[in-house]
Amino acid sequence: MAENQNPAATSSQDTQRQIRVQLTSKQEDIALPENTGPILVPTGLRRYALSTLVNNLLGNDKPIPFEFLINGSFLRTSIDEYLTTNGISAETTLEIEYVRALIPPLHIASFEHDDWVSSTDVLSATAPAGSASIVPGQERILSGSYDGLLRIWNMSSQIVATSPSATDGGHSASIKAAKFVSPSQIASAGLDRTVRLWKYAEEEDGFSGKLSPQLELYGHKSGIESLAVNASSNRMLSASSDHNVGFWSMKKSDAPAAPENLLPSAAVRNSKRRKLNSSVTVPQRGPLALLSSHTGPVSAAIFDAKDSTVGYSTSWDHSLRTWDLVTASLVDTRTTSHSLLSLEHLPDLHLLAAGTSARHITLIDPRASAATVSAMTLRDHTNAVVSLARDPHSPYGLISGSHDGTCRIWDIRSTKTDKDGVVGQSVYTISRKSLEEEGKGDSKRVGGEGVKVFSVSWDKTIGIVSAGEDKRIQINRGEGVLSSVSK
Amino acid sequence: MDPSKASKKRKAVTRDIDEEAGVFSGDELNPGDLDGALSDNASESSADEEDSNSEIELVDDFSDEDDEEDELDSDEIPSDNGGLTKDSELNDVNQSDSRDMASDEEQLNYRVEKDANGNARYIYDEINPDDNSDLSEVDENANTIGNIPLSFYDQYPHIGYDINGKKIMRPARGEALDALLDSIEIPKGFTGLTDPSTGKPLELNNDELELLRKVQMNEIPDEGYNPYEPMVEWFTSKQEIMPLSAAPEPKRRFVPSKHEAKRVMKIVKAIREGRILPYKPPSEQDEVDEDVIKYDLWADEAERPDHPMHVPAPKLPPPGYEESYHPPPEYLPDNKERKAWEATDPEDREREYLPSDFGSLRKVPGYENFVKEKFERCLDLYLAPRVRRSKLNIDPESLLPKLPSPEELKPFPTVCATVFRGHKGRVRTLAVDPSGIWLATGGDDGTVRVWELLSGRQLWSVKLSDEDPVNVVRWRPGREAVILAAAAGDDVFLAVPPIVDPELETTSMEVLDAGWGYAASRPAPSATEANKKSTPQWLRPSAPLADSGVCIVIRLRYVAKSISWHRRGDYFVTVCPGSSTPASQAISIHTLSKHLTQFPFRRRLKGGGPPQTAHFHPSKPILFVANQRTIRAYDLSRQLLVRIVQPGARWISSFDIHPTSSTSSGGDNLIVGSYDRRLLWHDLELSQRPYKTLRYHRKAIRSVKFHPSGRYPLFADASDDGSLQIFHGSVTGDMLSNASIVPLKVLKGHKISGELGVLDVDWHPKEAWCVSAGADGTCRLWM
Repeated sequence: MAENQNPAATSSQDTQRQIRVQLTSKQEDIALPENTGPILVPTGLRRYALSTLVNNLLGNDKPIPFEFLINGSFLRTSIDEYLTTNGISAETTLEIEYVRALIPPLHIASFEHDDWVSSTDVLSATAPAGSASIVPGQERILSGSYDGLLRIWNMSSQIVATSPSATDGGHSASIKAAKFVSPSQIASAGLDRTVRLWKYAEEEDGFSGKLSPQLELYGHKSGIESLAVNASSNRMLSASSDHNVGFWSMKKSDAPAAPENLLPSAAVRNSKRRKLNSSVTVPQRGPLALLSSHTGPVSAAIFDAKDSTVGYSTSWDHSLRTWDLVTASLVDTRTTSHSLLSLEHLPDLHLLAAGTSARHITLIDPRASAATVSAMTLRDHTNAVVSLARDPHSPYGLISGSHDGTCRIWDIRSTKTDKDGVVGQSVYTISRKSLEEEGKGDSKRVGGEGVKVFSVSWDKTIGIVSAGEDKRIQINRGEGVLSSVSK
Repeated sequence: MDPSKASKKRKAVTRDIDEEAGVFSGDELNPGDLDGALSDNASESSADEEDSNSEIELVDDFSDEDDEEDELDSDEIPSDNGGLTKDSELNDVNQSDSRDMASDEEQLNYRVEKDANGNARYIYDEINPDDNSDLSEVDENANTIGNIPLSFYDQYPHIGYDINGKKIMRPARGEALDALLDSIEIPKGFTGLTDPSTGKPLELNNDELELLRKVQMNEIPDEGYNPYEPMVEWFTSKQEIMPLSAAPEPKRRFVPSKHEAKRVMKIVKAIREGRILPYKPPSEQDEVDEDVIKYDLWADEAERPDHPMHVPAPKLPPPGYEESYHPPPEYLPDNKERKAWEATDPEDREREYLPSDFGSLRKVPGYENFVKEKFERCLDLYLAPRVRRSKLNIDPESLLPKLPSPEELKPFPTVCATVFRGHKGRVRTLAVDPSGIWLATGGDDGTVRVWELLSGRQLWSVKLSDEDPVNVVRWRPGREAVILAAAAGDDVFLAVPPIVDPELETTSMEVLDAGWGYAASRPAPSATEANKKSTPQWLRPSAPLADSGVCIVIRLRYVAKSISWHRRGDYFVTVCPGSSTPASQAISIHTLSKHLTQFPFRRRLKGGGPPQTAHFHPSKPILFVANQRTIRAYDLSRQLLVRIVQPGARWISSFDIHPTSSTSSGGDNLIVGSYDRRLLWHDLELSQRPYKTLRYHRKAIRSVKFHPSGRYPLFADASDDGSLQIFHGSVTGDMLSNASIVPLKVLKGHKISGELGVLDVDWHPKEAWCVSAGADGTCRLWM
């Protein structure tokens, strides 16, 4: 018997091969002590076991889930399998970087609307439009709806302010895009082909406010699909179905006069319908420039995250164009093979993420030196990707909203190997709460009917705010992430 | 006489002659030198003397000296024959003597000398008498007693008398001699000779004595030589059952036979001379002996015209190897082939038999199908079949065209991206506007709705009719104006949906309103004319309709089910397929700029019932009109019928013209959908019959549509079975290559309601997206 046990013991040692790993972290608060040398761990370990190990090493009372990065991609298998697939010898010392794992975002709240919600934006201390003066709890959420109204919500799902109706100077058609410019200014645009600036004033108690029209900007001949604001330079970019990108000034004094033929009063229709026209007189202005080079409806236009004189736009004509906004001229065109419906800039990676009608996200390097158009493809969505937002926590993170009724969180380091090569894999999927409430959480809607996500934004403080066809704004938050931030 | 012996003798003789003739003695002669000089002398002597002469002398010398020299000089082994030879030789000499004597007579055998008297005195040579001669020398010791018995002298000490009369004393007897000899002691090996080297008496030892004895006995002096070896019977006289022979290989076994070589050479020679042909071509098998009578059934058969009443007898091919009773092994089926043959139906078998190997003819069994075959032949004769059955041995796989994989033909719509829900009742028709942003639909609830294409948001809706469904909506082509034509009930409505910007709206209104003035300026038709022609009126809509965006109502008075715009947007054609519609008013062409409706056809199209649908050619002034069975192309400028297309369908539901027909290079391509489930592709350059018939749907095809841009070679059809099918159909510019049609995708999702599935289909003008209108009240965007 003793003889029999010996080989069994050795074979179990074989399966429990060990590898030397060096665990590092770039975040100060979770870093291991400096003198921690390489640790010998069994290769059979997976993420969870490694996470427990690091928590033990750190001596955390409350375990923090960690993700482990080897050579820039997340460990999704056991170490052994990773070594085998990548052909790495088990005798080397493996450098493993660990980061806080994304916590599955939990549903926090849903704000119900009367109509489809086409756009949303947040105002918080950490939002681009926000200022540090906003105390936690006083964050505001802006929604633009297909009923033509802007609504401002506080965090306790109360409407603080609603934009005036069309008769009182509001949008005469659906709003497709709405953004906070500053805590006191809001820009919105929609199918009525106008970009409007609103002054937002709030009562002292913070439970009621007023949206008053400030400026009406005319210039587009068709509905405006997306809007980008740059508060520092007082400029806006709008993307319209009339194949133009509008470049606007937010200052009344800067802006040129509005083109006469586009004003609603120019319509020859009988006055009966038009008498609804606003009783309020609002200054009307025109665009600084109309950037017309696209050959299809422009779906999104954004400013470069670092340089406000550079703009990017995507269009149904499959192209992504780079604009020099100073001279209002086209710099570069990148043509892909699908209609592009949304755009977001990942400045740290020098990449532009573009959502396509072909159900994926293409990462495009806009720099002239880039050899290939598409640096990477993120596939998981089952319908057109119409909205993208950056992860405020990580330069690699991204969230996308799609017509399939889901938001997906991506980390471009999380990849899998597909038949088309390496494609990105979503980390988490946020489905609509409305679907779960109907008791059909698992069922998939054909074409995302009734649950399409039209807009998503991600703020450090508030979390992920998404708006969609289910007439709701849905707020999700990864608790663990936020708790670590507040720590 | 042994020739070798004779030559030996001659040699000896010539040497003897030399001895006599020569100056030196024979003893001093070195035998080797002698031999060298010998031939010369011989020739000299032959030149001098006659052969015979020398021979005589030879013989003389022989008798003199032979006995002495034989033992001394000759190192040859004396044989018993020697004596015999001598005797016979002597006899020979004697025989030849008489002849020689004559020749001696001729020669001078005497000398003439002078005697004392001076007279000639002939001195003859002394005659040397032979042994045989009568003048034999008298033996002085011979007994002269004559012929009396010796016993007479037994009592005397003598035994006779010699020639001189002296007594011949009786010789001593043996016993006395032996006694004497015994008394003398002779040492062993005594020879009586003196060894010259030692000066002592030469004594011979036993070996030498033995040697001498052997020499004396003419035996081989070698020791151990056994002249009487036991005989090995190579060839035995006894007959053996298993003759084993160690006999050495006979020569004939390994030496090439000269006889055969001779015979071969004979043949070679004959071949060279052409008497033998090395290869004779085989004579024709056909020329068989004539006593076999053959009947050629078809010998006098003449070519007869192909006629159903005449079925020529089949000409059977000659039998092949596989029909042999003993075919080559490669013709024999292996197990797999045998199983396959057995598995196939007897009707479908390529051969009626399996090749089988019987080894020899006598093993061939009886033909098992004999009775069956006879019966069938009789049946054939009796029933006299008049049908030619042409059996097609074609691999069905090879008939299938090599189609590219759908993966390579991307993009094409694959999944439902948006569902447009809002219509109550069926959605009968839909159209995507030229800019590709909006979708217009019309349905059974009498409303026309415009939707945002991507999000599925309804932007505009107008109720055109309370009871009648909206049968068709079509956008006016072109970007400069946004006009939607819709047919509901008896009316056709032209609307400008209030979704566009004021400028575009103004332009669109202007386009529509331009005709009012023209209509007003037109002379009002007289009452009779109006009655007769009943020209449809272009009217302003009622106020609620006008408020919602409808601008013009055309009262057709008959239900229009098809609207098709001309590419330039000034004309559109409507078709009222209802059976109650007068033939002259079924097809009407409307001119937008003049507010004018015309009826180009007075009479009903021939054959195929009422017209169904009509389309303008994308580039040429040609109008295609489809009735139930045919599609006719009319040149509008010349006002004549250009072409009749016969798809072969029983009831055409819709058709579409390929957009590249507008280019001058490509021919016109049509797709036709029919209620009898067929989708037909027509290449008008090729034939008026369909180039391809696609029958993939289980139910009627309601609508077919080409992708309007040239960028994607796609077309789609919509069927009552609730599915759409997407095809790839690329048309090439050159005439030689046919259009390639690849089925790409079946799009399912619409529910079947009331036996109806998908009622209409349209394409996005730029993208590879398509939209479909379903009887379930939804429209779907597929991308």
